[in-house]
Amino acid sequence: MVNQQPPTLQQLRTELRRFPAPVVEEFDKARAKMPRTMEEANILAWGAAGLHIADQTVRSWEATTQYFRVSPKVVAYMPFNYFLKWTDCGSDLCKESPTLAASYFEASPAAMSKLRSRHIESWAALGGSLYKGTWKSSTLACKFFAFSPALMDSLTFPELERFVAFLDALAHRSYDLAAECLSLGVQIFPLIGEDKTAFITLATALVDSGWREVKSFFDAGAKALPKIDQEQRFRFLKIAENLVHGGGSNIPGVMLETSQAFSRIEPDLHSRILDLAEALIQESPQAVPEFIKASAQVMDRLSMAQLERWYEEGVNLLRQNPDGGLAYFKIESAHSETMLEALSSGVEFERIKAIMEMYCRALAGEEVKLASSPELVDRNIGWVSAESPTTEGSTVFVPDVVDRYHSKDENFSWFKVVSTHQVAHLEFGSFFFEFERPSALFEDRRSHVESQRSSETAANSPDLDGEGLERAWITDMQRYFNLFEDRKLSLDIFTVVEDGRLDFRVKYEYPGIKAAYARVQIDSSEGRPEITSMPAREALVEFLVRLSLQQYREIPAPHDYVEQARQIAAVARQILDAEAAVEDTAEATLRIYAIISSIPNEEVPEDQWDDVDVEDEQDEEYTDPEDMQQLLQQMAMGMDMELRPDGEQDYESSEEVDYRGDFKPELTQLLTQLRMQQDGPTDASGDPITQEQLEELLQNSAELDLQAVEGDIQETQGMFADNLLKEAGMQLPDNPEFSNGPFVHVDEDGDSLEASEPQTFVYDEWDFRAGDYKPRWCIVRQKTMAEGDPNFFGSTLHSYGGLVSRIRRQFEMMVPEMFRKVRKLEDGEEIDIDDIIEAIVDMKTGASPSDKFYWRRNKVQREVAAAFLLDTSASTAEAIDDGKRAADDWDAPDDPVEYMVWLRTRRGEAARRSYKRIIDVEKEAIVLIVNALEAIGDVYGIYGFSGYGRENVEYYTIKDLDEPFSDRVKRRIDRVAPLHATRMGPAIRHATATLEKADARTKILFLVSDGRPQDRGYSREGVEKEYAVHDTRMALEEARRKDINAFCLTVDKNGHDYLKTMCADMGYEVLDNIYDLPERLLFLYRRLTM
Amino acid sequence: MTSPTRTLFRSYIIEEYHLTEEPYYVPVGDEIELFEAAYAQKIPVIFKGPTGCGKTRFVEYMSYRLGQPLTRVQQNNGAPPENGSAEADDRDHLPLVTIACHEDLTASDLVGRYLLEGDRTVWIDGPLTRAVKVGGICYLDEIVEARKDTTVLIHPLTDHRRILPVEKRGELLEAADGFLLILSYNPGYQSALKDLKHSTRQRFISIEFDYPPRDIEAEIIAHESGCDEDTAMQLAKLGEKIRNLKEHGLAEGASTRLLIYAGQMISNGIAPRRACQVAVNWAVTDDYNIQRSIEELTTSIFE
Repeated sequence: MVNQQPPTLQQLRTELRRFPAPVVEEFDKARAKMPRTMEEANILAWGAAGLHIADQTVRSWEATTQYFRVSPKVVAYMPFNYFLKWTDCGSDLCKESPTLAASYFEASPAAMSKLRSRHIESWAALGGSLYKGTWKSSTLACKFFAFSPALMDSLTFPELERFVAFLDALAHRSYDLAAECLSLGVQIFPLIGEDKTAFITLATALVDSGWREVKSFFDAGAKALPKIDQEQRFRFLKIAENLVHGGGSNIPGVMLETSQAFSRIEPDLHSRILDLAEALIQESPQAVPEFIKASAQVMDRLSMAQLERWYEEGVNLLRQNPDGGLAYFKIESAHSETMLEALSSGVEFERIKAIMEMYCRALAGEEVKLASSPELVDRNIGWVSAESPTTEGSTVFVPDVVDRYHSKDENFSWFKVVSTHQVAHLEFGSFFFEFERPSALFEDRRSHVESQRSSETAANSPDLDGEGLERAWITDMQRYFNLFEDRKLSLDIFTVVEDGRLDFRVKYEYPGIKAAYARVQIDSSEGRPEITSMPAREALVEFLVRLSLQQYREIPAPHDYVEQARQIAAVARQILDAEAAVEDTAEATLRIYAIISSIPNEEVPEDQWDDVDVEDEQDEEYTDPEDMQQLLQQMAMGMDMELRPDGEQDYESSEEVDYRGDFKPELTQLLTQLRMQQDGPTDASGDPITQEQLEELLQNSAELDLQAVEGDIQETQGMFADNLLKEAGMQLPDNPEFSNGPFVHVDEDGDSLEASEPQTFVYDEWDFRAGDYKPRWCIVRQKTMAEGDPNFFGSTLHSYGGLVSRIRRQFEMMVPEMFRKVRKLEDGEEIDIDDIIEAIVDMKTGASPSDKFYWRRNKVQREVAAAFLLDTSASTAEAIDDGKRAADDWDAPDDPVEYMVWLRTRRGEAARRSYKRIIDVEKEAIVLIVNALEAIGDVYGIYGFSGYGRENVEYYTIKDLDEPFSDRVKRRIDRVAPLHATRMGPAIRHATATLEKADARTKILFLVSDGRPQDRGYSREGVEKEYAVHDTRMALEEARRKDINAFCLTVDKNGHDYLKTMCADMGYEVLDNIYDLPERLLFLYRRLTM
Repeated sequence: MTSPTRTLFRSYIIEEYHLTEEPYYVPVGDEIELFEAAYAQKIPVIFKGPTGCGKTRFVEYMSYRLGQPLTRVQQNNGAPPENGSAEADDRDHLPLVTIACHEDLTASDLVGRYLLEGDRTVWIDGPLTRAVKVGGICYLDEIVEARKDTTVLIHPLTDHRRILPVEKRGELLEAADGFLLILSYNPGYQSALKDLKHSTRQRFISIEFDYPPRDIEAEIIAHESGCDEDTAMQLAKLGEKIRNLKEHGLAEGASTRLLIYAGQMISNGIAPRRACQVAVNWAVTDDYNIQRSIEELTTSIFE
């Protein structure tokens, strides 16, 4: 729109003067910068265009200023005709909004360098399209221009157009959001791979389905995408888009979670996972995120090919049962786990626990338990590595999973070697070290060194009286380690030598495992750190490690210390003898320590290393070389420390040998000692160990890596000491500082649980919706009921007087005769010789003989084991309000928390009552049944259960199956009291497990309850109520499959409806009158066991 | 002409059976002295111990050691018809009558009964009666399995009276001089219901048997099975380890007898791991997990 009659340049300037000064100033500056080659006419046209823009509205002179300012740069990018087009576009924008035009011009120089000339108009139009005449839209449009150059870096023009369309759509909802997305876009687009269209399309799709999520989508995109293989980001987005279309919600969250999963998977596998995910979308969009999340977890155990098979199975399941399939992909179903187990080459501790535990027991010949290392770490008694195999004297701890090799067999044999090694500690007496016991292979120097040391100490600190020195140790191991100045070094040496001894011994005793053992040793020595990178002292310790791993050739040693290395080898060699005991290890350690500690821990230059070959056979007897005496002397005097040069480095422990794990002789011996002290009456061995002594031991011991534990060291030590005492079974007052709260709440949607404390057990739970078990879902905590007043028992019997004697009589009649021979039968097992002779005599004498001369034996043997499971849930606090009892206490709030409150208020009322509660009648019934069963000698157990949440199913032992009846049982009955909720399934499963172990022909499980099963996340409205009933039903069914006769007795008058489902074809009975409970229970018991 | 039938088996009258060779027995403790003393004083003896640890072998050995012929009978294989009496033979032998008890073993199975022969009834002495008459050792194996009415016989035989009432014939037999009653039982696996009554068990002295220590057991295995010493040692080690599992799912440890079987299999060319599997592992348990554990033990011990 340039004037027909172009004015002269001078005229133009004059015209421009009408506007504020910056216009002309910029014009002049720009003119000077315009290319020399530019034609006069063009310059005029340029100036005129500026004028034209300025003329348009009041504030458009600002646009002109900007126009002039950028022109020289812009004109350089394009032919003049395009330049004019660019100008026109600006001019048009200016008509709409001068601010917009100004931004347009401002952004142009940067934009033009990236934009093709033919897109200029479209670009301007894009900006214009965002402008809707409001100031918010203007801000957005301006922002768009400002960000354009950056956007153009990563977007092609068509993509930019799409992006603007998206912004436009979003702007309809919220300008602010659109503006934010614009800025986020700048950051994100460079992260996305080839095709950004997908991302933009997805964003656009989100605008329709849930525009509020868009921003978090951008956020999530920025975080998620970098975690995914570059090539695959597009496909990832595509899947996300499909999820949006499939009705998925919280897409940004899903993206974050899944990308988290991807970050744990090797990038080159992303594509194949996505292949599977894409296929899965067709089946079930909901399953896709679960699958991706699971795959990260699964990939730890499976190879890609195996994952595919696992996936196939899931898809099949999904087709048959969507819920089940979903649970499968969440790895919340037993089927899924079984499949994983079958596919993976890794060996999981849980799966082989039973076998290996027995194996270890057999080897050790004592009550060895097997557990996974993390359990030991949880106990907080000084062991901190959850990975390393170890033992604390009674239990062998091994890693959770072994997945070092490609086949299950190899992994298993690693596992076996590891367990064998740990058991060897017990079998070959690592922890039975006695300071005074002579060694078999060495001249004993321990006592000598000790006396030298103590006289040394006494000389240095004369104020210490001899008494204090006498017993500065509580274990022999501690006494031994007290000999050394550098405990860490001595422990390291001791560990290596002892492990070497055990390895040799194991291979000697068990030739069958030799091959596997050797392989593990070789693999281990390959993974060892480079000796030549170590300072001298550490290098010699590592030298010793290599020797112990059966490496005898070409072990590097510092040139200056080759002689010492040979000495070390000679000493270490001795230990490889079937006769060697832990005391020999101690003697060897003493010598090796003396040698090594005299070597300064200095860097060794690269060319100062020699390869040493050591004889792996040694025939001649070992005798200490002459200078050994001197070295030991030095060591005892503590001179080894003083001799060290200043420049040496601090000694660092060498890396532990992976299969040998963590060896803590001092702590273990301590623990063993504590346990023994606890078990028997204290023998002559001395005073009980005090907490102070314990803490002192812990403080000095090199076995505690206190740095590795977070928190205050002092406190940690206290905690360890505390826990150690507890571990040994000592009763300590509860220290609230260190104990966890009673309830650790776990989300209902969480993962499987682990039983990490003693006396806790994990059970699966049946999810009837998925038609599969939720693996390891509930934790049953078995506790012994507290003890109360034994008089309750007597007074109950007294009050039931007549009934008691009648019952007792009835029960005594049940005791069968062992063998009842029935004679004079027409048919039977065998002919009775006496009867037949009689018959023959009859025949001879002409009388008619009886043909009943057979006999049969009726074998009746009473072998009954019964478990009584008492519901001690809060609702048993209900008063029995003769007849007035509320017909439906299901008015009670469904939310368990409210329910508790509701009950508590009711219980408060009940406290003032004089009548009986349900629980009281239950207790009375127990008293009677105990009395009756004692008469016939059946094996029986009584348990109460309650709990709160799946991680806190409380299971109280009132009388254990194999426990004899005693006053303590009487006292426990008194303490039975209403507690929390009723999660029946796990309690039944636990009782079943207990009964299963009992050796009896008839096994009975009696469930006495007052209502339906009910717990948090177990029985709320809707399906959950059903859930509980179905789980209970399944638990009973499991019991039945194990030949346990289950019977439910309830006092809930409305019990028929759910009991019908719950007990299916098992027996149940609803009592009309709660007072019938005791008599009825006994009656039923009799009927069931006859 | 038909060829005469050849008898492939040998038949003995209960109290005439002779062992021609000395049974192999390695004493672990002072059981030989104890037994000799008890025999000299006519004090009845109970052997306690797990199955296959050598109780029966010990009785055989002792009866031989005391320089006597050995007689044994398995219950229920029909007593051979008596023809003539055996007492004339060699009176200086000490007969041994071994009776394996089972839950249907009655008093008349021990004492004797009338049998029909043609149209007559004939009295047949039971093994206990025979032992009482010839004055031999009567060894009741696994006595707790037998029915309770057998105690009626045991009691008068084991106190100062030393008599056996034969109710059906209206007789009382006074035991001959050399007679001694030996019981054996395995306190491990019987349920409490099958425990011996105190009135019974307190008529005996008890000698406890257990599996021999590793060295001795290896010696026994090597001797009995003919396998080499190393193998025997390994087998003994295996036995010892498996016995550690007793009470942990295993009702009874691997007996010496089983280890000997394994050794015999090995000396006949079966690979050691396989031999242990069939002779030890599968023999001691049906529980899959325990089998797996023992399998691991076997593979650790044998190459």
